[in-house]
Amino acid sequence: MVAHTGGARAARSARRLNSPRPALVEAHADGLPRRVNRQDVALVREEWRVVDRWWTDEPVHRRYFDVVLESGENAVVYHDDDAASWFTQRA
Amino acid sequence: MVATVVIPAFDLRAALRLRPGVQARPAALAPLPGTEPLIGSVTGAAEAAGVRPGMRLSEALATCPRLELVEQDPASAEQAWEEILRRLEDAGFAVEPDSPGVVYFDTRGVERLYGGLEPALKRALAAVGTTWDPRVGAAERRFAALAAASVARAGQALIVSNDRASSFLAPLPLELLPLDQDRYAELEELGVRTIGQLAGLPGGAVAERLGPVGRRAWSLAGGEEPGERKVAPRRPAVALHETLEFPEAVGNELTLRRGLAVLLERLLARPERAGRPPRKIALWARLVGGASWRRTVTLREPTTDLGRLRSALQPKLTELPAPALKLRVEVSELAEHRGEQLELVAAEGMVLQGRLREGLRQVRAAVGAGGVSTVVEVAPWSRIPEARALLVPRDD
Repeated sequence: MVAHTGGARAARSARRLNSPRPALVEAHADGLPRRVNRQDVALVREEWRVVDRWWTDEPVHRRYFDVVLESGENAVVYHDDDAASWFTQRA
Repeated sequence: MVATVVIPAFDLRAALRLRPGVQARPAALAPLPGTEPLIGSVTGAAEAAGVRPGMRLSEALATCPRLELVEQDPASAEQAWEEILRRLEDAGFAVEPDSPGVVYFDTRGVERLYGGLEPALKRALAAVGTTWDPRVGAAERRFAALAAASVARAGQALIVSNDRASSFLAPLPLELLPLDQDRYAELEELGVRTIGQLAGLPGGAVAERLGPVGRRAWSLAGGEEPGERKVAPRRPAVALHETLEFPEAVGNELTLRRGLAVLLERLLARPERAGRPPRKIALWARLVGGASWRRTVTLREPTTDLGRLRSALQPKLTELPAPALKLRVEVSELAEHRGEQLELVAAEGMVLQGRLREGLRQVRAAVGAGGVSTVVEVAPWSRIPEARALLVPRDD
């Protein structure tokens, strides 16, 4: 017979990998990022939109930007149209 | 003596565990989709309104328009029943489950443990728990014990001695006997309404009219039990399980397969297994909307081979009726022996695997539980980056 160990080993939640983190972004009037986390944007390499899950209670409306910062660092940020906030994430 | 614990309308009570308020209202178990529209167990309030278990759905709703239909939850019922059996076993009762809500045990061993028959029966009721309104009957024979438990009040222990078993059974309704609905109706038409009236008929005449089933019922009514066997306690089940909670409902098979693989890996790494291979495995899921789902697989050949376990369980995932919020793998039975030939030379990669395990063990020791996770790709095609993979903690 094996001891009941259900209590000690409760359901462990899986976490999302690569969850978005809030970012400090200043944008131009057309929505393009000007500064990301207090660094000037040197170049916007690519821009794309993700519209998904519009049929659920948690629709996704994002405008992604792949940018190169003044320091030479690469970053991907997006503007969440529903939350009206900026986030950074590895795309 | 043989004791029987009975929980009336167990399936309905199990389905209402999370909605206790409904128990006071007229409610009934809804028929399963695709089956005959007959209602299942009913609450006391529904019974008072004239609704009977087994009634046609339309008739029940016409009889009681306020009747609430409760969706059946067989997986929850099975789980709740298993919990009750384990509590009884923990209290020292070697149980033989009959059907969900009915369990037998022999009182001989436990009478000495609890200082008499009645204290032992009270202990059994306490082990089941008052929320289930259990009742217990004890007699020399199984049927008398079952009948006693069936007529006892909630929380009551009814003991029927052998010399008054016949007089106890005599006034009880025929419905306690294991007969078809048609047979009850036939006997009622003949004016036979109680067990005593049936016992008073000549056995030969009953057998001629109702066949072998009727003859058996007649013997039971007379206090005899043809082919009676001793209580055969079950082997206590093991309780090894691993659960994965998804951040959102998962319906695609690939994700579920990957989740299953992680769970099997964790389960096989559990030290409680002590090298024994699983023989019987259950797959359980909590579905969107609150319902649950469960499938059990008995392996023809017990194995610890991950690939073979996956092949045995994966086909079951296609039977999931809705997206799952939680997935659990339970080992209900372990085989005693491994029955496998030991290898003379360790397989290629075993040394590396051993080093990796040791390295992970050291990381866990340094950073604590939850410090090591496995990346499980669940939807690599998703346009939303955070939906592509999950981090699943592993503490094995």
